[in-house]
Amino acid sequence: MTTIQTTSASTIRHDHVARRRPGLLAALRWELRKLRAQYRARVVLLIAVLAPVFIVVVIQGQSRPPKDTLFGRFAIDNGFALSLLVLGFASQWVLPLLTAIVAGDVFASEDQHGTWKTVLTRSTSRSRLFWAKTVTACGFATLVLVLLAVSTVASSWVIVGHQPLIGLSGQSIPAGHALQLVAASWALMLPPILAFTCLAILLSVWSRNPAVGIAAPVVIGMVMQLVGALGGVEAIRPFLVTTSFETWHGLLAEPRFSGPLVEGLLVSAGWCVVSLAAAFILFRRRDITGG
Amino acid sequence: MNGFLAVDAQGVTKTYGSVRAVDDISVRVAAGEVYGVLGPNGAGKTTFLRMLLGLIRPDTGTIRMFGKTWEDSGVGVLDGVAGFIESPRFYPYLTGRANLEGLALLDGGTPTGLLEEVLDVVEMSDRADQKVGGYSYGMRQRLGVAASLLREPRLLILDEPANGLDPAGIRDMRALVKRLSGRGLTVLLSSHDMEEVEEICDNVTIMTRGTVAFHGTIAHLRTMAPDPGHVLATTDDVRALRLAEDQVGITVARDPGAALVVTGPPPEVSSYVGSLVRADIGLLAFTPTRTPLEALFFMLTDDATHQFLDRSAQPQDALR
Ligand SMILES: Nc1ncnc2c1ncn2[C@@H]1O[C@H](COP(=O)(O)OP(=O)(O)O)[C@@H](O)[C@H]1O
Ligand SMILES: [Mg+2]
Repeated sequence: MTTIQTTSASTIRHDHVARRRPGLLAALRWELRKLRAQYRARVVLLIAVLAPVFIVVVIQGQSRPPKDTLFGRFAIDNGFALSLLVLGFASQWVLPLLTAIVAGDVFASEDQHGTWKTVLTRSTSRSRLFWAKTVTACGFATLVLVLLAVSTVASSWVIVGHQPLIGLSGQSIPAGHALQLVAASWALMLPPILAFTCLAILLSVWSRNPAVGIAAPVVIGMVMQLVGALGGVEAIRPFLVTTSFETWHGLLAEPRFSGPLVEGLLVSAGWCVVSLAAAFILFRRRDITGG
Repeated sequence: MNGFLAVDAQGVTKTYGSVRAVDDISVRVAAGEVYGVLGPNGAGKTTFLRMLLGLIRPDTGTIRMFGKTWEDSGVGVLDGVAGFIESPRFYPYLTGRANLEGLALLDGGTPTGLLEEVLDVVEMSDRADQKVGGYSYGMRQRLGVAASLLREPRLLILDEPANGLDPAGIRDMRALVKRLSGRGLTVLLSSHDMEEVEEICDNVTIMTRGTVAFHGTIAHLRTMAPDPGHVLATTDDVRALRLAEDQVGITVARDPGAALVVTGPPPEVSSYVGSLVRADIGLLAFTPTRTPLEALFFMLTDDATHQFLDRSAQPQDALR
């Protein structure tokens, strides 16, 4: 073993003035500031607001309704049906993509810019940074969903109208109640969206590559849709995140059924917990050798 | 009095796959000194400094900074410690100032006025409101120093801070390090340049292939240095070599570039040159090979790419 003795044996007094330990809030503020400065986050929010208006206008302008799709038959003359049609479409891959644009990038962009070594040599622990980034990504996902929902429902209401809705069992639902059910249906997107967000976080941490973090959740979502549509997969279908995208159907049937709804919540929560736990362990342990 | 070394690393080892990047290294840095970790590329300097800053975990060994370890203090071990590894990295889409403000958030806030002060110290005040993406290498390097000073460190860790800078940038960086150490800051820097370490450091660890080849003061290192060497070009190298056989105290070797390299204490070298002139051998060139400390550095680190120049300092290769 080799030892380096400095000639001067001088040491310094250890003054116990530890730095003020920054809380989660400080790290969160920093993440938000970076997010605000990023062009792509603003573009996603803008799309979430404008795209539904555009789609509503286009569909309303069609002479024949998209009959093959759920609620498609009534979409050109019922605003609630149109909202639900857009909801069904958004859950195919649009929502996973919009959330992954931030969640798949939030960790990997530090690799891309080589900035891990910059932020991890300050006074904020790895776990604080992890949670700050996770909260940021989940908050962004929620915001995107809310904007998309409000924009869709409002523009369908205004442009197409708010006549009573014909439910999945052919029952007529009065406008006031229909609005509640449509809002609840959109809200039910939140658990699977958060599951996709956490999955994107895991992929972002694991791959250290923003392109993978953003694209992979979308591809995984599509594969899940495909698998879910196959026959003979009843055993695994409930465990697919994408199955949770359909739990709102139960709200619009007569009588209502909520079994899949509870199942979907649990499955989404499971995906969140497993993804985040794996991401956390990977992140805490990793050696920062790049940058 | 409760006293601690700025850095007390004991038996630190780090392996990447089959590569022992750092192999059982111990380094102790006292408060207030400028300490150099010197070594050729791949010696393990960066790996060692990354372990100090907690970016990577050592396989074995303990690291204490001001008496604290990662195990018992977590990120608190970095209280009073700042620095950067290789070239500092920032968010290119933010201004220099916004980058520092964000890092200050992660530090738990900084005293008012400090941000302006550190920008001023590194002479970046007038460029702070431009996006980092447009900065030159040297500007990013200076912003890196500013970001470190923002933590009001007692120990500053710099990994080859002069790398990639132009001569003026190198001069400024060295002056800055001296100025900071003059204010009482402990500085631990790595370098592959003996001249740099000689100029600014009090103590040095010379690393090669992950292990320590030398540690001690620069003064001690000087006493170990070989005699200075000179490249000699004459009109008749064969006779010049033959004449060298009669000279006591010097060695003359032929290097692969076909020139002669003469090594020895200055009086003997001078007497040899005189004998060449008396023998009517024309002297075409007489230039120093490298400083004795550089020669020693290459001897200690046994860097194969410098083998031929080292012959001037290696008696076993010399003609008598
Ligand atoms: N991330 C890594 N993966 C594998 N090997 C590495 C890695 N980083 C460094 N090394 C190896 O470890 C050794 C020491 O590297 P480094 O610490 O960068 O040396 P220095 O900074 O002195 O040039 C080299 O052989 C290098 O190739
Ligand atoms: Mg290096």
